[in-house]
Amino acid sequence: MLHSILVTGLVNGAIYALLALGFSLVFGVARIVNIAYAGLYMLASYAVYLLLQVVGLPAPLAVALAVAAVVVLGLAVYRVVIEPVREHESAVLISTIALTLVFQELVLAAFGGHFLGNPVWVDGITSVLGVTVTHQQVLSLLVSAAALGLLWLLLTRTRLGVAIRATANDREVANLMGMNVRRVEMWSAALSAALAGLAGAVVAPLTVIDPLMWQGPLVNILAIVVVGGLGSLRGSLLAAFLIGYVEAATVFLLPGGSYLKGAVALTIMVAVLLLRPEGLFGVAFEEER
Amino acid sequence: MPSRHTAASALALAAALLFTPAVPLAQAKAEPVKIGIVGPMAFIQGEDAWNGASLAADELNAAGGIQVGAAKRPIQLVKVDTNEIMNIADAANALERAITRDKIDFAVGGFRSEAALAMQEVAVDNKKIFVVTGASLDKMSDNVVKDYERYKYWFRILPPRSSDLVKASYAMLGAITAQVKAELGVPVVKVAVLAEKAAWTEGFVKAAQANIPKMGMELVGVFQPSATATDVGPDLTAIQATGAHLVFTAVSGPMGVALGRQAGEMRLPAIVFGINVEAQKEGFWKATGGKANHVSTLNFYADVESTPKTMPFVEAFRKKFGRLPTYTAASYDAVKILATAATAAGSLDGDKVVPFLEKTDTVGTSSRITFDKGHDVTFGPGNTVPLGVQWQDGALVAFFPNGWQGITFKGVKPFVVPPQMKKK
Amino acid sequence: MIARRLRRAGRFLRGEVLVLPSRVLVLLFCVGLLALPLFTRDPYVLRVVILSSLYAIFAASWDLVSGYSGQVSLGQALYFGAGAYGSALLHHHLGWSPALTIPAGALLATGVGAVAGIPCLRLRGSYLSLATLAFPLILTGALFALPELSGGELGLSGLQPLVRSRLGFYYVAVIVMLVAVFTMWLIGDSNTGLLLHAIREDEVAARASGIDTPRYRLLAFALAGLFGGVAGGLYAHFVRVAGPSTLEVALSFQAVIWGVFGGVATIYGPVVGVFLLYPLTELLALVPWLGEHRLLIFALVVLLVLRFMPQGVVHWARDRMERECLRCKSRSVATRRACRVCGADLR
Repeated sequence: MLHSILVTGLVNGAIYALLALGFSLVFGVARIVNIAYAGLYMLASYAVYLLLQVVGLPAPLAVALAVAAVVVLGLAVYRVVIEPVREHESAVLISTIALTLVFQELVLAAFGGHFLGNPVWVDGITSVLGVTVTHQQVLSLLVSAAALGLLWLLLTRTRLGVAIRATANDREVANLMGMNVRRVEMWSAALSAALAGLAGAVVAPLTVIDPLMWQGPLVNILAIVVVGGLGSLRGSLLAAFLIGYVEAATVFLLPGGSYLKGAVALTIMVAVLLLRPEGLFGVAFEEER
Repeated sequence: MPSRHTAASALALAAALLFTPAVPLAQAKAEPVKIGIVGPMAFIQGEDAWNGASLAADELNAAGGIQVGAAKRPIQLVKVDTNEIMNIADAANALERAITRDKIDFAVGGFRSEAALAMQEVAVDNKKIFVVTGASLDKMSDNVVKDYERYKYWFRILPPRSSDLVKASYAMLGAITAQVKAELGVPVVKVAVLAEKAAWTEGFVKAAQANIPKMGMELVGVFQPSATATDVGPDLTAIQATGAHLVFTAVSGPMGVALGRQAGEMRLPAIVFGINVEAQKEGFWKATGGKANHVSTLNFYADVESTPKTMPFVEAFRKKFGRLPTYTAASYDAVKILATAATAAGSLDGDKVVPFLEKTDTVGTSSRITFDKGHDVTFGPGNTVPLGVQWQDGALVAFFPNGWQGITFKGVKPFVVPPQMKKK
Repeated sequence: MIARRLRRAGRFLRGEVLVLPSRVLVLLFCVGLLALPLFTRDPYVLRVVILSSLYAIFAASWDLVSGYSGQVSLGQALYFGAGAYGSALLHHHLGWSPALTIPAGALLATGVGAVAGIPCLRLRGSYLSLATLAFPLILTGALFALPELSGGELGLSGLQPLVRSRLGFYYVAVIVMLVAVFTMWLIGDSNTGLLLHAIREDEVAARASGIDTPRYRLLAFALAGLFGGVAGGLYAHFVRVAGPSTLEVALSFQAVIWGVFGGVATIYGPVVGVFLLYPLTELLALVPWLGEHRLLIFALVVLLVLRFMPQGVVHWARDRMERECLRCKSRSVATRRACRVCGADLR
């Protein structure tokens, strides 16, 4: 039982981490709650489906193209939809919700409401600590770890990364220091879209693709970034595993109540907020004017 | 596409009217009988409700329409997109719009339980006959029994009420476990229940807890993911740890696809059987990435002769729409029996048609159709008998009923125990 | 006596209402709604207006907590659902009449609002928004865990309608809506509203001025609960089902969309949002091809409107029709050159 929880939680957590970090990145840098992020995740899944099963490209190429397409789209969304209204916080929120609905409806019109699936790229199973893990899950785990590692390197070892972190820390000062804040924001929007796209592409062969697939992860992402502290990448990473393990534990300890896993995760979120209103690693933004 | 199809038939009708002046004027002017096809049209459930009904309407219209009183009137289907999978309030609105604006005479369809209940109220408020092909909830027919005068306008032809579905799945469970015992030499079959958390599975879970031990099996766990879950990996891992030989499922949502795929990928050494709505569709194999071998489910249409009318219907459906019908396509039968009852009543008025609809006794595409006192299709041998179907190497193969209560449908094949169970 | 009152009302009408296009529109809207059944009693039209009215109360309740006090709630469905379930549970299990259970459900929702507000007191900005998103989902989980009580995912159905006839319900809904919205507007225009404004603009400064800010923030939540609960209870006894769809994220988002589309911190903005958008989607459903894509069109309309009027429709429209006097802050028709109150130059 303990082994099952350990292994399942790890797999869950890695995928959640991939999903949540991109969201967290944009919030940290641009202070924008971008709901369309979840929409990009869905579109990436459909793009892989289209390229793989309709066009017939090999899997790595399909994933690369899908991610590239989503990045372009993500940038366009940032420029066309978010930037013009970014002074009005709630207008950003609504616009990105509306945009996600547009994505959903377009997908629904193009593919119908059918539940679709992508074929697995690697077949087979391994036993880890007596728990069956499919090779596809291992692959997803590896891709997720590699992406997070690369992101870490980018943020800590490159000029761009330093600029991104500096902007996240203090926009005004970064601006005064001569950084092109707008360009930094565009870069983080692109990075974030790439993460959403990768998550969509990597998760797609694990479960089901359908036009509503963005809603479930969205709630999880929000819980994770809030628990971790909005804008804190370290916090999001940790919270992703926390939520991943909490969900796994719910399923194993309370089998008749596995439908409660979402509610349990959210209750944890509220509990964390009660104890630490700014999340585990968050910065208290209230001082910002 | 259905819409193009209606446009085409409308054109054809127009052409017929233009070029055949021999048609008597009264008949040409006859007002159509409007039947609202109610469902989530962007989803397969709504699509098949529409497809099935349009086949029936085409057949009836080709024969000159239906006789109502003195006039022969054509059938006109009205597409009522309820959007019920996304939004419940939309569904009730849509039906009311169809009744008051489009002036439909009858309604057929209704899939998601919560929406179907709201629509039942709208239909009976307006005294319009509503024949359900989709939602299996007991509560809807209980309403008819409890308050006949109000709810008598409501009927259901497929699926049977969920408590009857549970009975049917137990009959199949018995047949499968007998085979497992014989082939694997297991003295006591261990069963894990995997049911989505929903009202329609409550009876299923309770019955499992009561009956499985009585049937000489061991219940090793009950797992209830959310009805909208798309990942059952953790649940299946937990089920594998219990050593279950059989996963008894009650699943209607996307989880059904995840279940087939994930059980196959992890080579779960257990039979997956029960009710899995997604596995009833022909797209299931592809959606699971071809991983769902040996997954089985209760079903209503397959390439077997449930009745003499099944194969002609399945073939016509496949020819026109390129796939096997799912159970909401029983709207075909619904349109036919409505036409018959309307002719017999000589009217389209709900109150006048109900008594004739109650007297329905005809052979439909999946069973003989008669109604019980809750206006549900009568269940049991000689009436509605669901099929058990199993995915075998990409093909949907029926294995039940095969000798059950002396019934064997022509075309059934044996059930296959997954090979990964035999290695142990 | 009566003649004098009438004359005074007439003078008020001429002096205070007819001088401003926005007030004329409000008057026309109220009169139009009340007089609509004289022109049509089509049950479907009445149904759309009834639902619009209920959603208008709901959207305005969102504005009270989010627009005025700046605590942007993404979980407004909590109050709608609490009202709907509260009323339905009392009706279903105890057999009370809807006339009693709807107010009781609203009181319950008020309590729920206050309780949910407590953890939110420690939160600000986006944290608060995201935390509120969680509450209805947690309540849904709890209701699913108690299917005997709540009816699980089907909810409680077969509820008795508040008023049997469609026309009767129409008047109940419209009048309750007008009264509720007017009450909320009065609250927003009162001292309390002013304090909520102050909290939104600068909570630290408000506290430094001796305002008990937690009390007022809680009050905003409780009031939102009260009005959201009224809307939910009426809804349950109109569609006769109280189900988990009353707690869905989509419904919470709807409230935000209506509110922001119409214009926040106005109370009437969200009402305008609902009465424009809800009938629009229903209207679209009447056209065959558009009907199938009505959600797409809805989303595009919202996107475009926000792109060009990020403050919402009412602010945009009012700025076109009227001008604010720089000296006395009262408004005049845009065509006037001088302020109608103090005579200052408006150009």
